[in-house]
Amino acid sequence: MSAINNSELVEHVEYIDWNNSMTLLKKAYDAKLFVLIIGPKGTGKTTLVRKFAPIIHRKLDSINFSLRTRESHLIGSKTLIDGSVSFIDGILVRSMKNGSMLYLDEINSAEADVLLRLDEALDDRRQIVLKESTGETIKSHDNWFVMATINPLTHIGTKELPPQLISRFPVRIKLDYPPEDIELKIIQKYLTENHDEDVKQGIKLANTLRQAASVEELYYAPSLRETIAYGKMLDSGIDKKEAAYLIFGNVYTQWGNIEYQKVNDIITSMF
Amino acid sequence: MAYLKNEALIDIATFLAKRWSENINTSVEFSDKNIVITKINTNKIILPTITKYAGNDFQKYRQFRTMLWYCAMRLRFCEKILSDDHAFGFILNTIETRRIEILGRRIWNGMDDELVFNYAYIWNYRPILNNVYNKVRIVEAFHQYFIIGDVKGEMSSSHFQKIIDATKYSNKILEEAINNNYGTKWLEKKIPDIIKILDIDSLLTIPIQVKNRNNNLITDNHILQTIIKISNKKQYSENYNEKIFKGRRISEEYKNIIEENIKNENKKIYANEIGIKIPSVDDEDETSIRDVDLINRLKIKFKKLKINLKEEFANVGDEFDFDSYLDKHKPFFLDNITSIKTKIMILLDHSSSIAKNRLEYKKATLALCEVLSYLRIRFSIYAFNTTNKEITCWLIKSDDSKWDDVSARRLSKIEANGGTPLAEVYTKMKSMLYLKKPDIFLTLTDGEPTDPDAVRNAIRSFKLSNIRMAAIGLGYNTLHVITIANNLKMLGYEKILAVSKVNDITDKILNILDKK
Ligand SMILES: Nc1ncnc2c1ncn2[C@@H]1O[C@H](COP(=O)(O)OP(=O)(O)OP(=O)(O)O)[C@@H](O)[C@H]1O
Ligand SMILES: [Mg+2]
Repeated sequence: MSAINNSELVEHVEYIDWNNSMTLLKKAYDAKLFVLIIGPKGTGKTTLVRKFAPIIHRKLDSINFSLRTRESHLIGSKTLIDGSVSFIDGILVRSMKNGSMLYLDEINSAEADVLLRLDEALDDRRQIVLKESTGETIKSHDNWFVMATINPLTHIGTKELPPQLISRFPVRIKLDYPPEDIELKIIQKYLTENHDEDVKQGIKLANTLRQAASVEELYYAPSLRETIAYGKMLDSGIDKKEAAYLIFGNVYTQWGNIEYQKVNDIITSMF
Repeated sequence: MAYLKNEALIDIATFLAKRWSENINTSVEFSDKNIVITKINTNKIILPTITKYAGNDFQKYRQFRTMLWYCAMRLRFCEKILSDDHAFGFILNTIETRRIEILGRRIWNGMDDELVFNYAYIWNYRPILNNVYNKVRIVEAFHQYFIIGDVKGEMSSSHFQKIIDATKYSNKILEEAINNNYGTKWLEKKIPDIIKILDIDSLLTIPIQVKNRNNNLITDNHILQTIIKISNKKQYSENYNEKIFKGRRISEEYKNIIEENIKNENKKIYANEIGIKIPSVDDEDETSIRDVDLINRLKIKFKKLKINLKEEFANVGDEFDFDSYLDKHKPFFLDNITSIKTKIMILLDHSSSIAKNRLEYKKATLALCEVLSYLRIRFSIYAFNTTNKEITCWLIKSDDSKWDDVSARRLSKIEANGGTPLAEVYTKMKSMLYLKKPDIFLTLTDGEPTDPDAVRNAIRSFKLSNIRMAAIGLGYNTLHVITIANNLKMLGYEKILAVSKVNDITDKILNILDKK
């Protein structure tokens, strides 16, 4: 079973450790303390973890949670192979056995039963009983290390994480939208030409929309993914205003004409 | 062309003002007086109603929008705003206007055309100097020369020299302020210098004629000529005078507002035909019934429920069966809470028995609407009252519009009056009810209709057309609550909640909206 998320094949771009997250992650890792990374979508949580794994020369197992994630994805399931039934380990069990780095992405999108099994594995004994199979107890490898991300509660489809599970991750790193100048630096990494002034305007727009979304006046907040895409559109020769409508404006038609119009008006007054 | 109503503007205007001022507490109001007020400590912008501007509806809208932008910039960049009543404040505000414009344009680049367009009107709104008397003429001339770079009418050359000197000095301190990031208070200290150059008294009274805009009759050609004049003088965007005049950049925005306006008007016409009225809210202020603490408390309480189905790539879905998943999780009911697909129609009793608890009642019902909208539940809300023996049904929010300040103001506006002739009200609501077919029809009432038998019949017929009838009864003490609960049951409501404290309504509301 593959847990690679296609949309997140990391580009070969340098990671900018603007708020010291990488350093903190390393310290937590050295102390064998599991880490929870908290922040809205598209603030570089996944990228941080993916860039961290090779630094410490570790293999990364990752799983992206959703309402569709089931217990069996974590634990494993019986499968028919060449006429005989055998138990194929799920990603959690495999990672515990191998002592890999396990990355639980958007853990607060998971259903309660899934969280229950995670809780079992993550408590201080670091073991899990394979009741699905032979009933044996799997103890985790000494090197086993776990990181998880959660999106803030306002994010659609997210739930509050049960307190006992939160306590399994004593180190909590906050990754918010970066300050304007940092966001500019990050975007620059993805561009071939200099569009600094225009990019700054795009960031300003994104921040305006993020603020509106944070008070629920808009249903959607653009992420770094969008500001990067906006920069790339400029690179491809598209006019900044057109790029702004394409990347930031048009998506709001989803929520009706008025929502869309409001954002368009903001764009008109900015570009 | 449809006549542009203020309420079609309030929603977009508030949104824009909040974003422009970068302040989520900014609110916008309209006034019948021809004045513009920006209140820094309460984050409030008060603008003249749209009818007060010159030109056609589109031109009116553009001026309105630019005026709103200036007010938002004031909120964003001014440390304080003095009154225009005396020369001192008037001059400070004149220079501040330019300062906030320069700062604002750094972010809001797209405003340039609109600013030039607006200047053309400003120029025309200014009085002719020959009609301004005494030293006020000097102040007005300074204002004109500083803002536009020209004066309307004539004045003596010695006076004119003062104007030129004062403008030069003002531009110098303005530049200093901008370069060093100095604000209002720094500029304020320099105003006495300007007063001295102009040789006037800082307490000189500024008459209305100078403070307010004068609605002179102007032709399009006149405006176009002024645009050419202004855009040549100022280094605004390119010199596309025709383009600025036509304002194509915001004509799309305007078209959409008009369309919304027409839709709203049609709704009103329809509502009117079937006897439902819409409160007019131009001058209504809903802040007194907006209990922010209550709303936030409820939002936190219901946050957990705000769950949707999340679309995800099936990256872990090798054995995932979507249909069986949906079966297990039937149309996204969560904790038995009404799904986002459910349509709810709410009817609020505004009979005189409500009057003594008026404020609590309004606060609770407004909070309820905020929460329903926060949970993205589709709802419409109506109210009824009686004046001079005539029952009126009011539309507060229809099911296809968003809950916003306009709806809140409508709610605030309706007075509690008269008895509880529920059956008659139901009869009035009937065609709306059958047209909209809500899943749940919820009545908030004191539970003692004047016509119980007729109410029972109406409820039965609504139930027959598959509308779930729910009621919330308001009692004044525990015993009374029990009586009311019994009453409501006898009347045939399927879901009943009776409370003695209005605040309990909001806490328990979702129990009653459960579809099962
Ligand atoms: N500090 C950074 N340096 C370089 N690139 C970054 C940085 N932060 C974010 N990015 C880029 O921003 C984009 C979004 O990042 P990423 O996918 O890691 O965010 P995320 O927080 O995991 O999002 P989601 O919550 O949606 O999973 C990626 O293209 C990533 O490379
Ligand atoms: Mg991610």
